[in-house]
Amino acid sequence: MTKPLAARIALYVVLIVGAVIMVFPFVWTVVTSLTPGATLTTTPRLIPEDPSLSPYIELFDRVPFARVIGNSLLIAVVSTLLQLVTSAMAAYVFARMPFPGRGALFVLYLATMMIPFQVLIVPLFAEMKTLGLINTYAGAILPTIATAFGVFLLRQAITTVPYDLDQAATLDGAGHFRIFVQIILPLIRPALATLAVFAFLNTWNSFLWPLIILRDPLMQTLPVALTSLQGQYSTQWDVLMAGSVISIIPMFALYVFAQKYIVQGVAGAGLK
Amino acid sequence: MNSKKSLIVGAVAAAALIAVTGCSAQGTPSPSEPGAAEEVTITYANFISNGGNEENLQKIVDAFEAANEGITVEVTTTDYANYFTQLQTDLAAGTEADVFDVDAGAFANIRASGVLAPFEGFDASAYRQGVLESYAVDGAQYGLPSSFSNVVLFYNKDLFDAAGVDYPTADWTWDDMSTAAEQLTDESAGVWGHYQPISYHEYYKAVQQAGGSFLTEDGSASAIDSEAGRTAAEWLTAKSGTVMPTAADGAGTPDFDTNLFKEGKLAMWTTGIWMIGLVGDLPFEWDIAVEPGDAQKASATFSNAVVVSQNSEHKEAAQKWAEFLTSSKEMVDVRLSAGWELPPVSDESLLAPYLEQTPPASRIAVFDSLDSVADAPQLGANATQIQDAVGNALGEIAAGRTTVDEAIPALAAEIDGLLQ
Repeated sequence: MTKPLAARIALYVVLIVGAVIMVFPFVWTVVTSLTPGATLTTTPRLIPEDPSLSPYIELFDRVPFARVIGNSLLIAVVSTLLQLVTSAMAAYVFARMPFPGRGALFVLYLATMMIPFQVLIVPLFAEMKTLGLINTYAGAILPTIATAFGVFLLRQAITTVPYDLDQAATLDGAGHFRIFVQIILPLIRPALATLAVFAFLNTWNSFLWPLIILRDPLMQTLPVALTSLQGQYSTQWDVLMAGSVISIIPMFALYVFAQKYIVQGVAGAGLK
Repeated sequence: MNSKKSLIVGAVAAAALIAVTGCSAQGTPSPSEPGAAEEVTITYANFISNGGNEENLQKIVDAFEAANEGITVEVTTTDYANYFTQLQTDLAAGTEADVFDVDAGAFANIRASGVLAPFEGFDASAYRQGVLESYAVDGAQYGLPSSFSNVVLFYNKDLFDAAGVDYPTADWTWDDMSTAAEQLTDESAGVWGHYQPISYHEYYKAVQQAGGSFLTEDGSASAIDSEAGRTAAEWLTAKSGTVMPTAADGAGTPDFDTNLFKEGKLAMWTTGIWMIGLVGDLPFEWDIAVEPGDAQKASATFSNAVVVSQNSEHKEAAQKWAEFLTSSKEMVDVRLSAGWELPPVSDESLLAPYLEQTPPASRIAVFDSLDSVADAPQLGANATQIQDAVGNALGEIAAGRTTVDEAIPALAAEIDGLLQ
């Protein structure tokens, strides 16, 4: 309010330019998806010439879409729930239960975040083969459920809960499990929501592992099914963009509803 | 005291795991076991049908299963870009399909790792030899070509007639082409004699046409600092500004050459056969010919092949399917009616419906070009950098900023450093 007018104008100019740059690819995606036969090599148009839904119809024709979206949702939801369970429990132990070597173990655990997933693929795939989990939902979900990031995020949240509460509960006869479920979990709800959003986004967008482990077209997730629309020499961009628009919708919805938590959580943990 | 509680925690985690495993069961397709003695199921992993030809491939599978009682083919289709990620993982874990696709670039490495079974007792005469040889090592055939695309010489007959120049023939060499290009170029009318991209892909081919090769025989070093390497560089770059538009005119930008040809302002055009369908109806007569060479002919060819895994339990059935997929009449018919690119089959009677379509009248040049295939060099991990280096060096020469004698030795040294 008290800022000088010039500064405010400058601020808005910067914000508007930023917004245009950010929004442009999305607009281009939507416009391309509505323009049959469109390519991405020509100068982008912002208003579709001869708009039509035929790319969407062709998309549903080429990909078993309901099934693929179902797969994606199932994998993302189950994986997210399990990540919340494993991360919260591990975080509780790291924050509240001292044992020899706890610090070292935590650092070691965090260090696994530095290992690129590409390095793990072949051994992990061989392991899944031995377990007979190739081409199963379990094979797609299990490797994702223990995340160092989740443990870290929730441990930071739990350490902000005053220890006095734990002590009071212990005096009243509560054990670790009761403290965890009835005291800690309700108090770190914002962090749990943040983790849920991140976990869901990651699993929903995850590409490499589902590509490797799920081979049957009926088992595939959305990002993998979308790449099947790209040919060796040419790609039908209109159909591909129609698929991309559909794949953005759940994340867009999630973001709109959980935006508060995402911003809070990221600001709170000092992460990006 | 606490250990009891951690037991509970553990039990919850275990229950969660069981829940995941449980929900997977419903979606898991039951593995198809080879049941009775003669019943055999082979798997086929492919990328060639991806992007619109999935149903056409199924038609070929159906025809094969009808002709071979007891063999079932299970197809998995992946897009080209991700196919090789899956294949590498599968090869590492030993879960690759019985029959799978490779392209010419991936073939050498996969073959060298010893996972491919050689084909035995197949009919080699069913294929054009040049492409077949790309998948043979030490006399053993490890892959059967399943499709190809190549580069030919397009020419505008009307411009040849107007300039009184004879049409290109199979005997043409670079000299004939240069002479014709000079006669055909008419700057006042904006007509150019010849367009050939100044790029890595044209260069390795031109080196072979000049009688040399891009890499030494063992592939460990560049072989372009040679008579052939220089001649080829000279050939590609000297046209610019004399019989071919320069980069400043727009050469090298997308669709520049296509539009020039379509406008009737380009007499000869070195480009891929995919352009046959893309140029559409033109208001002038045009045709194609096998690309002229210098010391020898060599046509740039891109091909895909199918191979059989050494680990396959049904090698015989797998090989049968690979042969059917690459040489049967049923396959040719399906591909022709779908407009799907053809494999290099040798029997011209099978190809009649393709060859009879005009223009161009000399469609057979597409297949004749396969008799002398330019082998694509195996560049290793730094392939993109090497290709860029070649393109840049040639571009500099064409623009007159350096000379062949200066640039080629430097380029050769740069490539040697990038080869591993």
